[in-house]
Amino acid sequence: MLALMLTLLLAPQEPATEVTRTEELQRAREEKALNLQPPKRSFLEKGLFDLKEKRLVERFQEGFGGFHPFLGGIKKGSGFGFGTSYDITNQLKASAQFSIKGYQKYEVVYTDPVFIHDRLFMEVRTSYQTAPEETYFGTGNDTDSDHRTNYLREDRTVAGQIGVRAAKHLKVGVHSGFLDTTVGEGRSARIPSVAEVFDFTDLPAIQGQPRYVIGGAFLDADYRDEPGNPRAGRRFLARWSSFNDRDFSRYDFMQYDVEVQQYIPFFNKRRVIALRAKSTLTDTGDGQSIPFYMLPTLGGSEDLRGFADFRFRDKNMVAVNAEYRWEAFSGLDVALFADAGQVARSPRDFRVRDMNTAAGFGFRFNTAKRVFLRIDVGFSNEGARVFMKFGNVF
Amino acid sequence: MKQALILALITFIVPPALGQTFRSDDPVWIDNDSAIDVKNITRHKLSDHYDFLIHSFGKTGDLTPRPAMNVNTVGEVPDSSWFQNRHAMKRMSIEELVRGPNTGSGPSMDGPWFVIGAKTEGITPGFRIRDSRGDVYFIKFDPPSNPEMATAAEVISTKFFYAMGYNVPENYLAFFTRDQLRVDKKATVTDNTGRERPLTEYDLDVILRRVHQSADARYRAVASKQLHGTPVGPFQYWGTRPDDPNDIFPHEHRRELRGLRVIAAWLNHDDSRAINTLDMLVGQPGRRYVRHYLIDFGSTLGSGSVSAQKPRAGWEYIWEPAPTLKRIATLGLWDKKWVRVDYPDYPSIGRFESAAFEPESWKPEYPNPAFLNATDEDTYWGAKIVTSFTNAEIRAIVKTGQLSDPQAETYLADTLIERRDKVGRYWLTRLSSVDRFMVIEGDLEFQHLASQLDLAPRPVHTTEWFAIDAASGTRRAVAKEDWGIPGMIFMVEITSIEGTVKVHLRERHGDLQIVGVER
Repeated sequence: MLALMLTLLLAPQEPATEVTRTEELQRAREEKALNLQPPKRSFLEKGLFDLKEKRLVERFQEGFGGFHPFLGGIKKGSGFGFGTSYDITNQLKASAQFSIKGYQKYEVVYTDPVFIHDRLFMEVRTSYQTAPEETYFGTGNDTDSDHRTNYLREDRTVAGQIGVRAAKHLKVGVHSGFLDTTVGEGRSARIPSVAEVFDFTDLPAIQGQPRYVIGGAFLDADYRDEPGNPRAGRRFLARWSSFNDRDFSRYDFMQYDVEVQQYIPFFNKRRVIALRAKSTLTDTGDGQSIPFYMLPTLGGSEDLRGFADFRFRDKNMVAVNAEYRWEAFSGLDVALFADAGQVARSPRDFRVRDMNTAAGFGFRFNTAKRVFLRIDVGFSNEGARVFMKFGNVF
Repeated sequence: MKQALILALITFIVPPALGQTFRSDDPVWIDNDSAIDVKNITRHKLSDHYDFLIHSFGKTGDLTPRPAMNVNTVGEVPDSSWFQNRHAMKRMSIEELVRGPNTGSGPSMDGPWFVIGAKTEGITPGFRIRDSRGDVYFIKFDPPSNPEMATAAEVISTKFFYAMGYNVPENYLAFFTRDQLRVDKKATVTDNTGRERPLTEYDLDVILRRVHQSADARYRAVASKQLHGTPVGPFQYWGTRPDDPNDIFPHEHRRELRGLRVIAAWLNHDDSRAINTLDMLVGQPGRRYVRHYLIDFGSTLGSGSVSAQKPRAGWEYIWEPAPTLKRIATLGLWDKKWVRVDYPDYPSIGRFESAAFEPESWKPEYPNPAFLNATDEDTYWGAKIVTSFTNAEIRAIVKTGQLSDPQAETYLADTLIERRDKVGRYWLTRLSSVDRFMVIEGDLEFQHLASQLDLAPRPVHTTEWFAIDAASGTRRAVAKEDWGIPGMIFMVEITSIEGTVKVHLRERHGDLQIVGVER
């Protein structure tokens, strides 16, 4: 082509035969006009085009005939879960979820009725949930990881909450509910059931589970910049719950949950130090105890990575987490984390030296608004654990 | 197609040393790319995901280093359906700059606006209206977090792009109350899944609830007038449209698209990608052609359309493997300069600054073949356009953004001025910036742009005159007094430490005409 060009360019031109540039351009266009073709899309382009144009992702999320498929979200320890929800109305939704370990959850939720003012919020839900192999290692901070057992837990719940957005960042409200739990022999084929390893005296309410009427209040002061993927701000959560045993009058207790989160950004929020402290404290009256399956727990993907889910249980729990997160590129943050936590019979028994510790690293696949996939690898004196979750840790 | 390419090459790209190849119509100032009637053209929309993928993970277009193809023999871009030489070539008055592409005053307030369509999905609510004159406008809003930001950026950048020569829509700032809006009987709304249903007043209320409302209950928006003609899809920054006979220069070799890199850097138009362009079929039956537009300037200056511009914007592609791996491997201890850049707190501006700005390092959201192909000649051309705006002109255009905070307005104008100077300081000095040649009383006069703009000292120039032998292409030194021999091509070599510029002249009708410039 270059040779042809040079030949054409170097050749002396006689004025009489000169073709002007304008004429040459016109000829080139006339020549192209003889060979016009419609634009074509490659296979990949067509697929991606249809994905967007036909809104296939949105339609998938929107569901089919009112059904919305979704992943994850049953409960800790359930394994990979999936499910579908169904919009009965804009406010009323029903859902069913299953996991590879046989966990199931069925729920109907009624949220924010249209007659409620913007500043008020309300939610009522009823659910049935079964966890065939919820793990139990014993009660206390020094239990043996070899004593891993499991039990079946079924919860039937009716619960509601109503509250007010008292300020832009502040929600306060009250909650109440009814909880009917059944505990039975664990279904895992790999580990023994609780009753095979532990004495019934160590397992309050193993032989008969009380039904609870629950009441309480909550406060949520949320100053995070983006709740689904926070990079700055703080959050304070407090929740008080009173569990009233309606059957035996032996298992009444109070529960206090507090959580503080702080996000310290630097380098234009491309680096974040994320800190969290949370604690669950319980209080029982004289002669009262807490069913073993209702005890606050510690361990697993949400608070003490490097340990198994539900690794520690007791009447009181405290956990602190620190993460250094840095952006690898727009869609991925990497994190180094350190977790520490303890369970204790009394808050007075919390000791720094008794803290169980874990550390590790993680990958957070995200958009500006939310983390949609989290892979954390935690290490502790009990080994390494890998967690894959469809959401952020905090 | 190959033949067309060759023809295109030999048509415009002329090594000036070969003076005998100048044609009688050189330099060409009008590329009549509306000459062939466009009979059958398909509306072809692009997949923005595909566009991102092929440019981020593959190579598109011809990235072979070569000069731009649609440049005339004096190194300029002829007027065409893509570009019209405006302010940098023929000075526009302040009034013309401020008016930009606008032919009126925006949607008429004499009657209600009938909303004829809306979209509820996504994070940028908006709708289409028809005013009492029957004109159709797209109404776009600011994000609630940054009142005035996206609308100001859209209006200001529209004026700049128009003055620089590009085809752009008429974008007006509009202020209205809810009472101004009526739902048209035939109006529809498209929901998140693409389903269409009749639009209701309630839908409008829901949309407006998501946008900023001022204390006097007014909404501020950009009213973007519907372009004249029939939309046939975006143009890409590479290749040509196979169904447009007039489109013969591969887009990655068009100077106005290569040089756009410099302009986009100045205005931080990080969203300069195919999806923000539009081809319109215009003209009458028998004389139809495609006009090429740049659209959607909501993500310019400090605006990222739906929020303040991302700190990465302009500094790094969305996906770049090397820095990604470096950040992972160093636990984030290593990073690029942009993570440490400070921005003043002006919500109506977003993230825009000049102190750290490096014009040569600036990048759009993902690789753009035309930008990648930009040569020093292309970027010089772009810088010449950017630096054609005086401080007063920049301030006048910024004022059209109607920012309520005077400090923000001053900051924005100052930032643009400083960025303009950085653009000029870098790209006007990569080559010799002797330019604006004129023959006055038989003598060749020129200006040194960089020094004239106080961007660089004026170097000492030496000037030599030559006559070019048409038959052999050889040259011989001549005295200036010997100029003007009919039929001869003359060349003036202007040399300084910045390099050499060769200017070709020929005698025509008793006058010396500048016919070629080689930098």
